[in-house]
Amino acid sequence: MTADARTEDRPVAALTAPPPGSGARVVTTRGQRYRRREVLLALAFLFPNLVLLGVFTYRPLLDNFRLSFTSWNIASPTAQYIGFDNYVEWFTSSSSQTVLWNTVVFTGAAVVGSMVLGLALALLLDQKLVGRNAVRSLVFAPFVLAGAAVGVAFQFVFDPTFGLVQDVLGRLGIDAPSFYQDPRWALFMVTTTYVWKNLGYTFVIYLAALQGRRAELDEAAEIDAASTWTKFRRVTWPQLRPATFFLLITVLLNSFQVFDVIHTMTRGGPLGDGTTTMVYQIYQETFVNLRAGYGATVASIMFVALLLITLAQVFLMERGRQK
Amino acid sequence: MNALNRRTASRLVVGGLALTLLAACAGTGSVDTDEAPAAGTTADANEVESLTFWSNHPGGSKEVEEELIAAYEAEHGIEVNLVSAGADYEEVAQRLNAALAGGDLPDVVIVSDVTWFNFALTDALAPMDELWETVGVDSEGYVDSLREDYAFDDAHYALPYSRSTPLFYYNKDMWEAAGLPDRGPETWDEFAEWGADLQEANPDVAPLVAPDGSAYLDWLFQGMIWTFGGAYSDEWEPTFTTDGSIAAGEFLQDQVETGNLAISNDPNNQFGAGQAASLLASTGSLGGLTETTEFEFGTAFLPGPQPGVTTGGAGLGIPAGIDRARQEAAMEFIAFFTNTENTVTFTQATGYMPVQKAALETEETLAFLEENPNARTALEQLELTSPQDYARVFVPGGGARIGAALDRITTGGEDVETVFTELDEETRTVVERDIEPQL
Repeated sequence: MTADARTEDRPVAALTAPPPGSGARVVTTRGQRYRRREVLLALAFLFPNLVLLGVFTYRPLLDNFRLSFTSWNIASPTAQYIGFDNYVEWFTSSSSQTVLWNTVVFTGAAVVGSMVLGLALALLLDQKLVGRNAVRSLVFAPFVLAGAAVGVAFQFVFDPTFGLVQDVLGRLGIDAPSFYQDPRWALFMVTTTYVWKNLGYTFVIYLAALQGRRAELDEAAEIDAASTWTKFRRVTWPQLRPATFFLLITVLLNSFQVFDVIHTMTRGGPLGDGTTTMVYQIYQETFVNLRAGYGATVASIMFVALLLITLAQVFLMERGRQK
Repeated sequence: MNALNRRTASRLVVGGLALTLLAACAGTGSVDTDEAPAAGTTADANEVESLTFWSNHPGGSKEVEEELIAAYEAEHGIEVNLVSAGADYEEVAQRLNAALAGGDLPDVVIVSDVTWFNFALTDALAPMDELWETVGVDSEGYVDSLREDYAFDDAHYALPYSRSTPLFYYNKDMWEAAGLPDRGPETWDEFAEWGADLQEANPDVAPLVAPDGSAYLDWLFQGMIWTFGGAYSDEWEPTFTTDGSIAAGEFLQDQVETGNLAISNDPNNQFGAGQAASLLASTGSLGGLTETTEFEFGTAFLPGPQPGVTTGGAGLGIPAGIDRARQEAAMEFIAFFTNTENTVTFTQATGYMPVQKAALETEETLAFLEENPNARTALEQLELTSPQDYARVFVPGGGARIGAALDRITTGGEDVETVFTELDEETRTVVERDIEPQL
């Protein structure tokens, strides 16, 4: 190796570096300048986003926490500080238990329902079937529809007098349940509607994951004459775990915050709070009962709950990955 | 990066930090001041070039509202932007609440019998009396009882617009099949007797259908509770647990259990499709039902003994937060929109009641009533109406709270006394917590 070649091979920083022990500080300063330059440049690029996040996300978040300690009629220009009264009221109110139960049932059913059905459809439409592209489009289409429009349309589907469900059940000699008057059936109705709307999302994520899986593993399983179930459990499912984790978080967060379908179909009823979830309670308290401070309290509790759930999911996922 | 660039980057950093701090320090504009929003300086209303009107187009009135607006624009040269601000009165109120916190107020807004009071209580609506004098509005021309519905603390906060009463609609064919006279029941007891005849003559059809608690059953039941000697409240004092109130609740529950009354999420369609022999609904439903039903129906007073009927609907208000010139221009617009000629046009298009006394006597109105006897019922019933109970219209969330309780005793089948006792306590708590400190 020639001297020139050796010089070319040396890192740029080393070219300017003084001999060890020389005590020269100029080069070190230039290195620091170089790093500072990068930091400043990064900050310059980050700042517009940080400002937007600060103004439109974190400031309202902090403001919401502040309002949660007040009694505020939303039409009034003033609010009174009342300490933890709103929090005490929510945690001791019997209606909060109903709301919490509705939220858990709705979210749980929506997450499980849309993920199981989405996976099943993705597995089916991953096969070479005639017209599968058209079916894929049909399955995905409801996801891009507005929730309010879906809610209004499904009001007719579940209508006790003219609805599709009533008609089909009637032909089978079965009386349609009181979807709008029985809280359990009402919750079933809004959950089913939401799962139908959300199915396209879980379907398309699972389909993408299926199409990105390693084909040689499938071929190896086939050579080993693995059954379809074994192949799915041992080969396909492990490769779908990242997608499942992603869906678990996003579907759960989205389901927790559903408002439009509930508002258009039941307005939180029947019997007052039959389908009222936490998000709907925020709306009811803020805009119907005019208690914006209490609404902010429910929002704060929901935020903390979602944060804890997400952190727990990340922790479990990390632990699973390490194992 | 040279030194100049580093300085630029540093300035960006410092500037960004300052901006973030400024943003974080800024108040909401809603809760940091003790001062009520004040009208701006006096100016000439003639300088106003455009107005914004928030409506939910009650009774399917968008077309007639546009027609009246076009007439106003032609006459006054002021552009009026008609905004569909919600699907119902409550949604318009919610939007106004958001605007009060965030700005962008309308000049004229529709406020219902339930929503106006909170805006008046919080100084969000402008008192109108002085504006009437400035603009020269004849407030005495409005039907007294409808105008006085918006009075609070020696001031008026809206003028009547789409005002209604509940009506008893009945299917004449089904009535005839049951051998009933061509009229509505005079008392609720008479209806209970007729219910069996209607069920027998019209199998699988509900003798009467009414909306559930999320769709104004609380408004309709208010008349019924009065006929039993009860009430929702005596001013701010809840009276759900008086003997009369409990008796009315038990009667309502009994009618549902015996099959005389069906509670529906869509009662107008159920009646219009021939799935119910009669219907409790607003006069505002008259226009739509007349257009869509394929059978002959009649209208009658709500069963008594009277008073068993209340008024409802909405008026037009002006936000306190817009400047004085806009308020005056808005007042002129409202005066035009609800004048005798235009209230006749609006009434005939929708079925709502005329809000001007003179409108009751015009040739057009008399000819219309001659041709549409169903519309006459609401006008004749007006004399029998009483103002609504505070617990429904003035207590925040009152209508929804009472509606939910009525759902519990009708579709939920819960014990009336237990439910009404809880309702009484809840209402009392809200009054003490949210109303009394502001009175």
